[in-house]
Amino acid sequence: MDHRLYFIFGDLVSNFITGILIALCAALLVGTGWNMFVAMVVMMALGMVLGLFLALALGILFGAMEIMVPVMLTGMFSGMISGMWLTMAPVPVIQLAWLGAITGLAVTCIIWLVNTGLRGISTSELD
Amino acid sequence: MADLITRDKWDKAAETLDLMSGNGELKRWLPFKTGLFGHMESGNILFASLGTGLDISAFPPGRTITAIDISPEMLKRAQPRIDNYPGEITAELTDIHEMPYPDSHFDQVFTSCTFCSVPDPVAALSALHRVLKTGGRLYMFEHTGSRYIPFKYMLDLMTFITRKIGPEMNRNTVGNVRAAGFDVTEVNNLFLDIVKTIKAVKPLN
Repeated sequence: MDHRLYFIFGDLVSNFITGILIALCAALLVGTGWNMFVAMVVMMALGMVLGLFLALALGILFGAMEIMVPVMLTGMFSGMISGMWLTMAPVPVIQLAWLGAITGLAVTCIIWLVNTGLRGISTSELD
Repeated sequence: MADLITRDKWDKAAETLDLMSGNGELKRWLPFKTGLFGHMESGNILFASLGTGLDISAFPPGRTITAIDISPEMLKRAQPRIDNYPGEITAELTDIHEMPYPDSHFDQVFTSCTFCSVPDPVAALSALHRVLKTGGRLYMFEHTGSRYIPFKYMLDLMTFITRKIGPEMNRNTVGNVRAAGFDVTEVNNLFLDIVKTIKAVKPLN
């Protein structure tokens, strides 16, 4: 994570895009007849793998690893939550898009916080 | 004997390396690399691995650097950047595991995203240990595996996909540096515990 505006904005937009796209993918795949557990597992895995491929494209603009890790997590959570929601009732596309965007925002914030804790000199890995 | 499988892999990766790493990634890490490579002194310096030479923009001017890479295609693409460097860079095509330099030849060794890429990281680090003078310092900019869940498992999954075409994402590079005989003096995490700089020294005994 970075303090320069270009990367703050880039990290956020990358996760918004991923969250929204994966939620919309779930709408194409999962229906109300699905078992909730199956939908959760399938969309978690699919969200993570699709997130990895999206990260390869977004990484060109914003850096590889720093995009790949949060975007894969966003894909995983967005897929999982939207997949489960879609098994209960038909969900309007706009609500799924909001869900994906909020998931992206939440993951970006969590990674920011975890990174704040981990970055800097690590004494635990020294001799 | 040359490792042709690794050479082929990186020859192919050379086509897209500038696109994948020469934009956002370079911009993001250039200030940190400039700080790390700012430790280059006036002696005999080894840089591994040069790739297409993207890191040259972070080198301080006026140094004498031997830069190695296993891929002829990478070195071919690096040549314009080598020509523009205001100092002396000698690019050499060699496998890091089988470097042709005598023992204790270099005063300092620098690496950049090297130990995600070599087939046998401990053997490669041992080779760096051999060519570095006693008391000489090793400076590394690397991405590694994570010790924390879920990042650890995500990097394992990524490695399953990326190892065929490029780097491995889940290596314990700090442990490998230690296993090769270096004393690790500083680990500075730049992104989570994944992207980091590592400083180490070849001990006196």
